[in-house]
Amino acid sequence: MRRRFGIRTLATYGLLAAGSIVVAFPLLLAVSYSLMTESQIATFPPPVVPVGATLDNFASVLATIPIGRYLLNSFVVSTAVVVGQLVTASLAAYAFSFLVFRGRTLLFFLFLSTLMIPWEATIIPNYITIRAIGWLDTYQGLAVPFMATAFGTFLLRQAFLQIPRELWDSARIDGASSLRFFLSMVVPLSRPALGTVAIYGFLSTYNQYFWPLLITNETLMRTTQVGIAQLRFEETLRWGLVMAGVVMVATPTLALLVLGQRQLIRGLTAGAVKG
Amino acid sequence: MKRFAALALALAVAAAACGGGAPGGGDQSAQAPGKDVKPAAKITWWHAMSGVNGDAVKRIVDGFNASGKGIQVEAVFQGNYDDLLAKLNTALASNAAPALVQVYDIGQAYMRDSGQVIPMQAFIDRDKFDTKDFEPAVINYYKYQDKLQSMPFNASSAILYYNKDAFKEVGLDPAKAPVTFTEVADAAKKLTKKDASGQTTRYGFGPSIYGWLFEQLMATSGALYADNGNGRDNKATKVLWSSDAAKGILSWWKAGVSGGYFFNPGIDNDGAANAFNAGKTAMYIESTARLRGHITTIAGKFDIGTGLYPRPDSKPNSGGNIIGGASLYIMKSRPAEEQQAAWEFVKYAMSPAVQAQWQADTGYYPIVKAAYDQGPSKEWSTKYPQFNTAIDEIRNSPQNRSTNGAVLGVMPQARQRTQKMIEAVLLGQATVDAAVDAAVADINAQIEKYNKANP
Repeated sequence: MRRRFGIRTLATYGLLAAGSIVVAFPLLLAVSYSLMTESQIATFPPPVVPVGATLDNFASVLATIPIGRYLLNSFVVSTAVVVGQLVTASLAAYAFSFLVFRGRTLLFFLFLSTLMIPWEATIIPNYITIRAIGWLDTYQGLAVPFMATAFGTFLLRQAFLQIPRELWDSARIDGASSLRFFLSMVVPLSRPALGTVAIYGFLSTYNQYFWPLLITNETLMRTTQVGIAQLRFEETLRWGLVMAGVVMVATPTLALLVLGQRQLIRGLTAGAVKG
Repeated sequence: MKRFAALALALAVAAAACGGGAPGGGDQSAQAPGKDVKPAAKITWWHAMSGVNGDAVKRIVDGFNASGKGIQVEAVFQGNYDDLLAKLNTALASNAAPALVQVYDIGQAYMRDSGQVIPMQAFIDRDKFDTKDFEPAVINYYKYQDKLQSMPFNASSAILYYNKDAFKEVGLDPAKAPVTFTEVADAAKKLTKKDASGQTTRYGFGPSIYGWLFEQLMATSGALYADNGNGRDNKATKVLWSSDAAKGILSWWKAGVSGGYFFNPGIDNDGAANAFNAGKTAMYIESTARLRGHITTIAGKFDIGTGLYPRPDSKPNSGGNIIGGASLYIMKSRPAEEQQAAWEFVKYAMSPAVQAQWQADTGYYPIVKAAYDQGPSKEWSTKYPQFNTAIDEIRNSPQNRSTNGAVLGVMPQARQRTQKMIEAVLLGQATVDAAVDAAVADINAQIEKYNKANP
């Protein structure tokens, strides 16, 4: 019995290890390329592990673009978007799941239908609006258009619907207001869902390219993805340089994901035990 | 990046469809401001030059700003060519476009038909600005009905790159590059190497499936890509890819791939360049602007040679190479003062000293011939003697409609369609005739639609 368990564990770990290598391979290759010289990368078959690592590529990135400033901008904007999305999406989802009012379903489907509008179609009107308010080259201009999210609202509504109706009834009987119930019951119980919305919102804002490019002209207001584009030369692609930029841009988000994942799992188990 | 290209095109087509008010061939009658208009103190210039080229742009701008003309140019990087065009379209919708923009070669018809541009010829005629010393091959590319639409800025062409060490190894003369289709194929057969297990370790020739290379092959064949003088005498109404020249190119390419002596990297320019750098292919064709990158990357691992671009065995006298790259447009929507300032900057950028420095910094052709007499240009030629092939090539290209290159409103789409066409042939999904017919039908329909939207 014990032996079989051992083999099974071994097999599970083996599969997981193989899977994680497949998933992590592009990332590891990026790290490895960022440490190679151009002529090393250009040998055939392409090498996987650098021989005698060099940090020249990172130095070139620092010399070519103000990456520190770009990272700061991306963080400020992404954090603002996450905060905005959590507030608007959770309140909207609360209304759609707990409050009863006329036309709720219709309004919800109208809300959802905005998911079907391709973002390309909204770019020009959004640009004209932002320009009219005078928000070109500002953090507001980069962040505010993304502070409401239909997808996040949908996700949170589904999570809120999982909360037993009895909780709502007993809270009302105890005299809790809607806001009180929302803050002390709904939010703590939905931490995993809120975490998912937060991480999704952060990453998609962090990875934006066209919108930041469109509404910024000042170097100091640009974001990381525009910076990576600046590292791609039209005629000769220097993989080492581009990969060094990618590594520098990806590291903070990875760190955030690792930290956030812990929080997420804790939230998940806490909910499971209490629920 | 492909996605943004698609977006740029979608925006371009949408804008073209909405802005149908422009008269045929854009606004050729748009006037330059009067000579006495005082230039603005500050203008913005949007460009798509990143990395080393971006630094070279900064150098030009800094030089101009310090030249005491009382004009400050602010150069803003706006992503690659497609991104820049997409941003320009958005900005035009709310009157936020800058005075000067850099747009790639194949955006020419779109810029003209947008009616948002003052043709460069208007400034040239007004000031009787002398363009005699301009490289004819370069300047002719940006002409419509013999009027210059925009000022060429970064210019490159295509050449054959080859591995001299591999040539020596198989007994080919490393000083003599193959030129005709048959010569290239014969050399490629000799250069192809297999290991004991029958795996090919080196292919003789390995061009990327890149529409621009096909356009160049059409030009060295002396053939037209589209009707109405490649769309330069009048708007093109159809493409001419079913000519014998086009089919000859495709058959040659296909025979090489099927025979196992041409490598097919797919639609992948960087992949083709990497294969050459790594010695996996012994010859390939690409932009002259890649020369310096190759020399840096190869770093002495083998000797790199350059030769004339391949052409049919008959070596037609009318055949030659087309210019690629990008040019500068002065926008009509800005105040006259800003247009004046933009023109001052353009003139500065075209001075021989600036052009020589630009060549040395980037590896593009100088636009004015006098630049070759300047120090930085001479140093460049000494350092990279392979570049002389590139200069000879465009110097010796006869100037006619086929070497001027095609201008189509749907040029980006046409280029992508030729790539699909070539791929279908190389992968054996279609015969040459079938692939050509399908592609021609597709693009002719798109041309018709475009011309209807831009009468």
